[in-house]
Amino acid sequence: MELLRAEGLRKRFPGVLALDGVDLTVRAGEVHVLLGENGAGKSTLIKMLSGAYHPDEGRVLLDGHPVHIRTAGDAQRLGIATIYQEFNLVPELSVAENLSLGRPPRRFGFVDTRKMHERAVELLARVGVDVDPRTPVARLGIARMQMVEIAKALALDARVLIMDEPTAVLTTGEVEKLFSIVRRLREDGVAIVFITHHLEEIAAIGDRVTVLRDGRSVGEVPADTPQDELVRLMVGRPIDQQFPRERGQAGEPLLKVTGLGRKGVFEDVSFEVRAGEVVGLAGLVGAGRTEVARAVFGADRYDTGEVTVRGRRPAPGDVVAAMEAGLGLVPEDRKGQGLVLGADIAENLGLVTMREATRAGFVDRGGQRRAAAEVAEQLGIRMTGLAQEVRTLSGGNQQKVVIGKWLEADAGVLILDEPTRGIDVGAKVEIYQLINQLTASGHAVLMISSDLPEVLGMSDRILVMARGRLVGELSAAEATQDGVMALAVAEVAGPRGR
Amino acid sequence: MAANVFLRRSWLAENGALAALVVLIVALSLLSSDFLSVTNLLNVGVQAAVTAILAFGGTFVIVTGGIDLSVGSVAALSAIVLAWTAAVAGLPWPLATVLSLVVGVACGLVSAALIAYGKLPPFIATLAMLGIARGLALVISQGSPIPMPDAVSHLGDTIGGYLPVPVIVMLVMGALAAVILNRTYVGRAMYAIGGNEEAARLSGIKVSRQKLITYALSGGFAAVAGIVLASRLASAQPQAAAGYELDAIAAVVIGGASLSGGKGRALGTFVGALILAVLRNGLNLLSVSAFWQQVVIGVVIALAVLVDTLRRRGMS
Amino acid sequence: MRIPALVIAGAALALGLTACGSAGPSGSNNASGSPGGNIKIGMTVSTLNNPYFVQLRDGAQAEAQKAGATLTVTDAQNDASQQVNQVQNFASQAMKAIILNPVDSDAAAPAAKAAERANIPVIAADRGVNGAEVAQTVASDNVTGGKLAAQELAELLGHKGQVVVLQGVAGTSAARDRGQGFTDGIKAFPNIKVVAQQPADFDRTKGLDVMTNLLQSNPGINGVFAENDEMALGAIKALGAKAGKEVKVVGFDGTPDGLKAVKAGTMNASVAQQPTLLGQQAVAAAVKAAKGEKIEKTVAVPVKVATTENVDEFKIY
Repeated sequence: MELLRAEGLRKRFPGVLALDGVDLTVRAGEVHVLLGENGAGKSTLIKMLSGAYHPDEGRVLLDGHPVHIRTAGDAQRLGIATIYQEFNLVPELSVAENLSLGRPPRRFGFVDTRKMHERAVELLARVGVDVDPRTPVARLGIARMQMVEIAKALALDARVLIMDEPTAVLTTGEVEKLFSIVRRLREDGVAIVFITHHLEEIAAIGDRVTVLRDGRSVGEVPADTPQDELVRLMVGRPIDQQFPRERGQAGEPLLKVTGLGRKGVFEDVSFEVRAGEVVGLAGLVGAGRTEVARAVFGADRYDTGEVTVRGRRPAPGDVVAAMEAGLGLVPEDRKGQGLVLGADIAENLGLVTMREATRAGFVDRGGQRRAAAEVAEQLGIRMTGLAQEVRTLSGGNQQKVVIGKWLEADAGVLILDEPTRGIDVGAKVEIYQLINQLTASGHAVLMISSDLPEVLGMSDRILVMARGRLVGELSAAEATQDGVMALAVAEVAGPRGR
Repeated sequence: MAANVFLRRSWLAENGALAALVVLIVALSLLSSDFLSVTNLLNVGVQAAVTAILAFGGTFVIVTGGIDLSVGSVAALSAIVLAWTAAVAGLPWPLATVLSLVVGVACGLVSAALIAYGKLPPFIATLAMLGIARGLALVISQGSPIPMPDAVSHLGDTIGGYLPVPVIVMLVMGALAAVILNRTYVGRAMYAIGGNEEAARLSGIKVSRQKLITYALSGGFAAVAGIVLASRLASAQPQAAAGYELDAIAAVVIGGASLSGGKGRALGTFVGALILAVLRNGLNLLSVSAFWQQVVIGVVIALAVLVDTLRRRGMS
Repeated sequence: MRIPALVIAGAALALGLTACGSAGPSGSNNASGSPGGNIKIGMTVSTLNNPYFVQLRDGAQAEAQKAGATLTVTDAQNDASQQVNQVQNFASQAMKAIILNPVDSDAAAPAAKAAERANIPVIAADRGVNGAEVAQTVASDNVTGGKLAAQELAELLGHKGQVVVLQGVAGTSAARDRGQGFTDGIKAFPNIKVVAQQPADFDRTKGLDVMTNLLQSNPGINGVFAENDEMALGAIKALGAKAGKEVKVVGFDGTPDGLKAVKAGTMNASVAQQPTLLGQQAVAAAVKAAKGEKIEKTVAVPVKVATTENVDEFKIY
């Protein structure tokens, strides 16, 4: 039964035609995947369905009747709920309070706490998540926060549930859990609009797929359409190889980590990364991978162990010393830690080299600009010019800027933490090619990734962490998804064990 | 297409305050025949000088995403230190002047240490300094004005009976601020820290050290402002420049800086300070009643900041 | 480790400073062994950030020493609610009399009532209290002072000319009363025209800026009345060599800097209140009230016009 239909939606922002004729039909009890590269118009479309934007042209029908969704309140009344990547929860309040936010059950003018809890328990049971309703949301992990968001949508009797890249922040196990919840909702007759960049998820969870490209809907296909075909629809051209790793001969070790430990976070972490090598660091979210990376780079302190970079030993917690030894970090949180969003491309690219480009206190801005232009050219950053604010770049191009500032600084050892998270297929391949260039020219790369196919496809060796410990190492030849997962969930005692 | 939008937006961002200043000047020229004379415009320059110099220092701090509420008090303290060491303790005036600048810088360093190492919010740390500096100024002066040494008081005079020295000092400090912000490592680091402190740290910028330098500069500029102010009166007063920090912040924000950091320019701040001075001068010339003057100034500040917010909303 | 150390050091510093600060009044407590030493008087001054009130306090302290009373002075920092707290503290310290120099006449009523409840007589100094009974109000009359200033300026100008008025902080009683007195007084001289009245907030720098601006729009003026000496001193700076000669300047308050300017001839006159005398009389009345003697409801401390001829009679600190 057709529940939601959008016809010929158009939306123009100053200077940009964001949507140029988008059609979408969603049936009750189906998972409808929305696929498209970043900038294809997915966000604009869902913002229209949730009342944040208004279409310039076209119409939206619910149950066959045209509706006008002018505000978030309108969307709520119509039963359309949206779960964005940034959650809409109040971290300080409890799960139950969040679930009743804005309309708590009242008794004699006071909040009826008991009833509020009962309601929360019921909703959480419907989602199938085991959380004490009294827990403050801030103490939940990302996966459970997301489930609370879903429960919140159910509390509003949502008939259409829009999920914007819900799996981007989840580990493999958590994704499975999410899928089972989504399937249950589908059986209940909820229409689900599901956005993902992970092609393999489409067949696993989806029923039908609408592909957007350059603001237009270019096709509606069944979810079991082959991945090559989906990619061709999405980017308008076939992509030969998803993981174009070119393996070479590994040279001498550039980064050596021995016995690294921080109390309660990770312990006894030892590994090395050689010139020309990509070492993957796999594991569940919370296994301590990011923490190790930050400690190696000097962003956080560590209590025991040693880090040696090209024969030098930067002091713990000293970013500048680590940089000078030749380390570079592309952090997990691109916008929060990697970029100065309000500054332009040249400024961001020159951030690391600024110190060297300073003579007697003055920065050689001309030289900085020339170097930035060179790197931008080399990386193929799509921009209007070096003076463009990085805020306005797409995710893939933003990531190129973050990597670019370390290229400009000629860092010998790069630590990439989730380098392709939230980036579309085309840009991903460009980043993989960049990694190839780096290793071919003798750089060493340590890559943290929760995307298993990516780790397997791009790494020469794979290290697996669980509960703050390094639990295994696999060569590219012997590694399989199952093999890595088996290690990642192994019952080992570690600083983060229960 | 997109490039066009970007250009248009940045034109507004850079020139919004300048456009407002031009409108104000044209309006006042039409309303008052006394406004558009060289003498009156130089008067406006003199009257803008102290606020402008404080605001240049404030620009550094606001660009890093901080705030300095202590500049008015630090200005008064620095002037009192100069006058007291020269007039009462009998130090030679050049030494007294250096000492006064050192005191200004020291006040900034103390605020910055509380912020960078004590992890106090800048608002609170500099609010504390506002009280401490004002109190010390009263303690040293015993609450009474102290005459400034004659040699220093020339800073409040004119060259050749025509060109006011405060205007020259203002322009020099403005140029200095522009050079620091645009050309030096310290200045570029301020923008990076204000734009994203964590990204700056992970790019090898020593954030705590840069904050020390930033607030020290603000304190140093405040000391210069205090000396100019006292020189104009030939007298250092413990209660001088009270509330000037708010004018300085207003000038910076009117000039297009964002209180959330990462944005701001010396030229914009200069224009912001001129807008406030032109406005006050014009209100005097037009004999606007005391009560309405405050309303008008408040409305102009609100309008200027409103433009800033609308501009940012347009960007997101 | 570093941060706690910093905090402790800061706390120690603050405590040390507080200890130094409170050593003043408590020290004088012990020192006074004379017969009247058991008369404890509390005095709350609107602000000590102004030389006028500093003189008021000094006069009060001198009189207290003479009478052998113990005087505790607090500074309300121009905050009326803080002043109420201070009066309540005086009441709990069992003061025998309280001198209240209101931050604001209307807002002082709760403070006066707090003392009344504790049966402590209140002497209002410099400004009255509206809406509550006090034992005595000692004040100089700002309205009369304004009139005197108008007469003095008119005499200096030979009963004709153009004058400007520099106003104090808009809405304060001193600005209101002095301005009112001046406006009333100047009406008697039809050939004198007030061409502009602009606020300079009792501030010397603003006096300088506003006067500079007014000279642009009114180049022909030959008289200035400033509602306090600070603004008059700023105006004198703006007038340069003309001050006191082509342009006559009359200030208000008779502060030390103001009187120096009168002596130097750059200020022609200052309507001098006598804050020292006012402070003395307030304490004298407080001592009487504490002993249960009957006192007058109001005492007007005379204002005097300080001019070049008589300036030496005034006390310059």
